[in-house]
Amino acid sequence: MFKKIALAIAFSPRFASLIAEAKRLSEVFDAELILIHVGEKEDAQVQTLHDALDKLQVLDKVKIYWEQGKPANKIMQVCEEQGVDLLVAGALKQEGLLQYYIGSIARKIIRRSKCSVLMLIEPLENPTPFDKVVINGTQQEQTPRVIAQGLDWCKKDQARQVFIVNEIKMYGMQMAAAGEGGESEIANTRRKLVSEEVEYVEQILKGLDKGNLRVNVKITCGKWAVELAKFASDIKADLLIVGDEGKLGFLDRLFPHDLEDILSDLPCNLLIVKK
Amino acid sequence: MEHLSHQDVVNLFLMLAAMLLLARIFAEIAQKFKQPAVVGELLAGILLGPTILGTFFPELFQDLFLSNPNANLALDGFVQIAVVLLLFIAGLEVELHLVWSQGKSALSISLLGLIVPFILGFVFPYYFPEFFGLVEGDRLLFSLFMGTAMSITALPVVVRILMDLDLFKTKMGMLIVASAMVNDIIGWLIFSVILSFMGKAGNLSLMQTIGITLLFTFFMLTIGKFIINKALPWINKKLAWPGGVLSLSMAFCFMAAAFTEWLGIHAIFGAFLLGVALGDSEHMSERAKEIVHQFINNIFAPLFFVSIGLKINFFTNFDLLLTLAILVISFAGKIVGSGFGAYKGGFNVKESLAVGFGMNARGAMEIILGLIALENGLIGEKLFVALVIMAIVTSMSSGPLMKWSLKAAKEEREAAS
Repeated sequence: MFKKIALAIAFSPRFASLIAEAKRLSEVFDAELILIHVGEKEDAQVQTLHDALDKLQVLDKVKIYWEQGKPANKIMQVCEEQGVDLLVAGALKQEGLLQYYIGSIARKIIRRSKCSVLMLIEPLENPTPFDKVVINGTQQEQTPRVIAQGLDWCKKDQARQVFIVNEIKMYGMQMAAAGEGGESEIANTRRKLVSEEVEYVEQILKGLDKGNLRVNVKITCGKWAVELAKFASDIKADLLIVGDEGKLGFLDRLFPHDLEDILSDLPCNLLIVKK
Repeated sequence: MEHLSHQDVVNLFLMLAAMLLLARIFAEIAQKFKQPAVVGELLAGILLGPTILGTFFPELFQDLFLSNPNANLALDGFVQIAVVLLLFIAGLEVELHLVWSQGKSALSISLLGLIVPFILGFVFPYYFPEFFGLVEGDRLLFSLFMGTAMSITALPVVVRILMDLDLFKTKMGMLIVASAMVNDIIGWLIFSVILSFMGKAGNLSLMQTIGITLLFTFFMLTIGKFIINKALPWINKKLAWPGGVLSLSMAFCFMAAAFTEWLGIHAIFGAFLLGVALGDSEHMSERAKEIVHQFINNIFAPLFFVSIGLKINFFTNFDLLLTLAILVISFAGKIVGSGFGAYKGGFNVKESLAVGFGMNARGAMEIILGLIALENGLIGEKLFVALVIMAIVTSMSSGPLMKWSLKAAKEEREAAS
């Protein structure tokens, strides 16, 4: 699934945990691991990094790229040159208003990266598999691919519970329109709206190998990104998997795309699957 | 402070009861014939008003609706609230997210679906003002209004049709819905500017009015929306549900309405924009929206639509030629405009025609627009009656016409393959 995994590192307090998480993933996917740091290459930092890698017994197995320049641009440049499949980075759960509009490095990476991106909000020094995974099942062009890749991830990582969440669009308005009819029309419409969404996900699942996974289909009503984030947060999910929405710019932050809603307040670790 | 007398109160409640009762009965009958409730509610008004009751039972009509000016004034207050609330839910239905995600094709359908009918609606009344009923007044304003009236699309009717045809979630369905939303926003924006020139409270110049309207729109869609989005989680969490969100959203709706009325750009615009900002908030739950819809659609909407019939004699003010002209302009404008927009967006001719038919539904929005123009002396009663008939005809014909052209498109595709 992923042959080359890159980890973007800054020497923050969480950097050892991030390396541990990336190492775990490279083992799960049997992938090559590279590290990218953008900034001055100082002896003290080289030593700290080597110590951390040594402790995890991966010092000889990883390639390290020390780069100069704008962090987000450089990270993406290395990823492209090295043919990275998955970029891992740490991210803050919540961002202030200013950061949201101007954009942090993590957000920039998510918006512009060409490979899949995993944002970890709470990396652990002794990482564990992602047990509870939520996959976006909303009716979008990329959804069959997102579900397929999401299930692959879950199988490899041996997730215990997998939820595919789809939602009914403009439920309030549709129900109000149905409300012109009698009680039976309202009930029928409600049932139809739910069953259509369940069927959409089940059709996709039909053609996929689920292995031993326990897959649950959940239907919510409202805006997909918001509902997805709410659901992931309610069940205390470990990972949320979504597809990307193409290149997003400043205007998308002013008049947000759905994905931007998730980015402004990450409910849990987030994997964005790109083509 | 003046009070309603004992007789005023009795009269007011009798009026309200008669209106709601008859509206319900006729709405149910309309639905039996697969027609929107609003058609029945308008018929109830025509029956209760000068057209039928006033003609055949003038004394009863006089006693019930004309004998008591104080009760009428109170009823007028109810109807005002109804219009503001109807615009509030019209705003609530607009999902900026959806508009944004549909991107360019939605924009081209909605802009062409707005510009072409607007031009058609503007040109004819401008060059033939007498035919369209302009006796005195500003020809430019009158023509601008007609342009707007021709370009608006009624979202709830469109949603209903799309659901009935099982098209709501298709690419075409979402495009039509998003386009109707854009039409709504721009249409009401233009109308607000026109209204502010009807000069009741407004002492502002054209540029000032446009500037303030745009500024208010921008404010509501950015900072206003942000504030609402921050306040709603607190309201949902700390206050009773759904009581808290319902009463506070109504309160803010009235506040916004009062503010825009004070600015001189009509109360409805404030209510509409507050609806847009609130509806787009991620914390305004779909359940809460459904409750607001039901509450307004079943209590205030019937009062408003029945009151239309009470104001006007639909028989004496019916002008066949004028009605036909309005119908032709409205059909031509939407079908050519939105249809061409859809064609440009990659649909074939028959499918584009279906989009045009879908966007042609005018419904309640047209009637609200017409009534406000009538009350402000911008249009005459004959034109208003023609507009109401156009709203009904377009709403009733949209579904069948769309079905027909989609069937033709399907047959064409099957023949080709």
